[in-house]
Amino acid sequence: MNILVCFTTTPEVEMLTDEDWVIDKNLQIDTSFLKPTLDSYDESALEIALKLFDASENIKVPLELNALTIAGSGANIILKTLKALRFKRVVRIDSHEDLRFRPMAVASVLTQYVLKHAPLDVLLLGRQTSIGENTRTHLLVAEMLGWPCITQAIRIELVDRNHLVVTHQMDDGRLRQRIQTPCVLSIGDAPNTYMRVPTLKDRLRSGKRPIEILSIKDFQLSDETEELIDLEVIHHRRAGILIEGKSPEEKARKLYEGHLKGSVPVQER
Amino acid sequence: MIFKGILNGCASNIVAQAEELNGFIREHLSCGDNVGSTIFFYSKKEEKNALLGLVPTESAELIRVARYQPENILKALETVENAEKADLYLFPSGFAGSEIAVRWAYRMKGSCLVQVKQIECSGAQLIAKKTVYANHVLGTFKLTQKPFCISLAKGSADSQAIAVRDKLIVTEHDLTGPQKDQFIKHSKWIPTETTKDLAAATFLIIGGRGMHTKENTQNLKKIADALGADFGVSRPVAMSAWTPMHRMIGVSGAMTNPEVCIVAGVSGAAAFYAGIEKSKTIVAINTDIRAPIIKAADVAVIDDYKAVMAELAKIILD
Repeated sequence: MNILVCFTTTPEVEMLTDEDWVIDKNLQIDTSFLKPTLDSYDESALEIALKLFDASENIKVPLELNALTIAGSGANIILKTLKALRFKRVVRIDSHEDLRFRPMAVASVLTQYVLKHAPLDVLLLGRQTSIGENTRTHLLVAEMLGWPCITQAIRIELVDRNHLVVTHQMDDGRLRQRIQTPCVLSIGDAPNTYMRVPTLKDRLRSGKRPIEILSIKDFQLSDETEELIDLEVIHHRRAGILIEGKSPEEKARKLYEGHLKGSVPVQER
Repeated sequence: MIFKGILNGCASNIVAQAEELNGFIREHLSCGDNVGSTIFFYSKKEEKNALLGLVPTESAELIRVARYQPENILKALETVENAEKADLYLFPSGFAGSEIAVRWAYRMKGSCLVQVKQIECSGAQLIAKKTVYANHVLGTFKLTQKPFCISLAKGSADSQAIAVRDKLIVTEHDLTGPQKDQFIKHSKWIPTETTKDLAAATFLIIGGRGMHTKENTQNLKKIADALGADFGVSRPVAMSAWTPMHRMIGVSGAMTNPEVCIVAGVSGAAAFYAGIEKSKTIVAINTDIRAPIIKAADVAVIDDYKAVMAELAKIILD
C-alpha cells in the first residue's frame, strides 16, 4: 500500500504578541520571524502514517510512506526529519505563492501530483491549516480525483494491501469502517498523535537520500471561486484584574470575596 | 434570493442543527425577497413526523436514505436537486455540514466557504465572514459564483426554537434503494462516552497544559465535581488523552457560555478562547503573567493553580 501524506508548515502564530498582529495593505501579516512548524492536524496525519508503517512490519503487509509539501526551503528541516522517520520519498513542491486562502489551487496541484505518480492508494491530510482555516483541500482533492473521502479520522488500522479500518468522528459519535482503497482520509482531533522524534542513528541512516524538489510552475493552479477582500484582527480583551497576595491561600480568599461570592453556586451538602 | 437549508436528520443532534439554522436565517435572511426551504436527510421512518416539527422555512423536502454517508448524500442531492434554481445552500456547523457543503459546491460549480459567522447579500455576490489565523483574525470573502454553499461556524447565531407552522409544503423522496458505496465493506457505530452537555454549563472549571500530568487532570476534575462545576480541558490536554475528547473546549470542541468560568493552567490560544468568550466572568489562574489568557480574563491570579484551587474549594465548601 502506497500512502502519501500531504502536509503544511506554518508559523506558530500563538507566539505573536498583540503588537505583532499588523495587517498590511496586501492583506498580509508578517510572520517571517517565526520558525515554521508542522500544522497540528498534519502532525497527527504524519504520526498516524508512521503507526501504520509500524503495523505493516508486524503483519507483513508491504507499505510505503511518502510525504509532500508545497513550500519554500524553510520546510526542508521537517522533510529531513521525515526522511529519518522512514518516509521513502519526501517531496517539496517549491513555491513562494500566497496559498493561504487558495484551497482549489492546492487541491489541483496535489491532484496532478497523485495522477502523475500513481499508483498511490491513500492520501492522508490534516483537516485544516491554522492560517487559512479553509477545511476544504482534502475534500476538493477527493472530488478532483473521484475518490471517496472520510473526514475526521482519529485512528487508522492496516488490514491488508487494499483495506484499512478507519475510526472517525461524526457529529454525534464515532464510526469504525472497513474500507477499500483508494481513498482520501482527513485527520481530525486524534489523541496521542504527537509526532515521534528520530534518533541520531535514524538521521545518519537517512542522510544521503535526497529531498525531491519540484517547481510549482510545472503545475496548473485552479482558480478560486471566492476572494479574500479584508482581514481584521480580533482582540480578546477583558479587565484582567490581578489578585495580589502573599500566598495562594490569601489570593484564593480575595478572589472569592471580591469576585466569586454570590456567583458560584453553593452545593447542598 | 432563494436559499435552502440542508440538515442531517440521520444524526441525533438534529434539533440543535435545526435551531441553529433557524437562528441564522432569522438573523441574516429574514428580510427582503428571500425565500427558503429545508432539505432533511433521514433514515428512520418513525422519525419523519418529528422532523416536520423542525422546519425553519415555509417548505421542506424529506429525503429518506439508508444512512448518512457523504457519497450517497451527494448522489441523492444530485438526483433531487436542481442547483440552478437555488442561490444559496446553508449547511449547519459540524462535520457533516462542512463536508457536504464543499463537495456539493464543487459539483455544482458554485462558490464555497465553511465555518461562516456572518453573511451579507450584495447583488449577485455574497459577502461572508469567517475566522482565519487560528481564530485571531476575521476574514471577509466575496463569493461570486452561484450557488453559494456555506456551512455555519459554531456559535455563529443564537439558536432559536422552531415555531409550529399551520401550513407547511412537504415533498418526499425515498432513496433507500441499493447504494454503490462499494468502498465501505463494513461499518460499526461506536457509542462514545457522554457527559452533560458542556455548552449548557453554568459553572465551568477548565484545565490546560499547565496541569502537566493525567493525575493532576483527574485531581482538578475531582475539585470540579466537589464544587458542582462542569469540567473541561484545552486541546493539548485532550490530545494527550488525559481526558476523553468530549471534554475539549474551543472551536474544535464545546462552545460555552457559563456564568463563571475558571481556567487553570491554560495559556489562552485564540481557538480555545472562542469556546469561553461568552462567559459572564472569566477567572484565569496561571504562573505566567505573559500568558494571553491573563489579559483576556476578568480576574487573574498569578500563582500555582493547584494551591489556589485547593484553597478556593475549601472556602466555597465551607
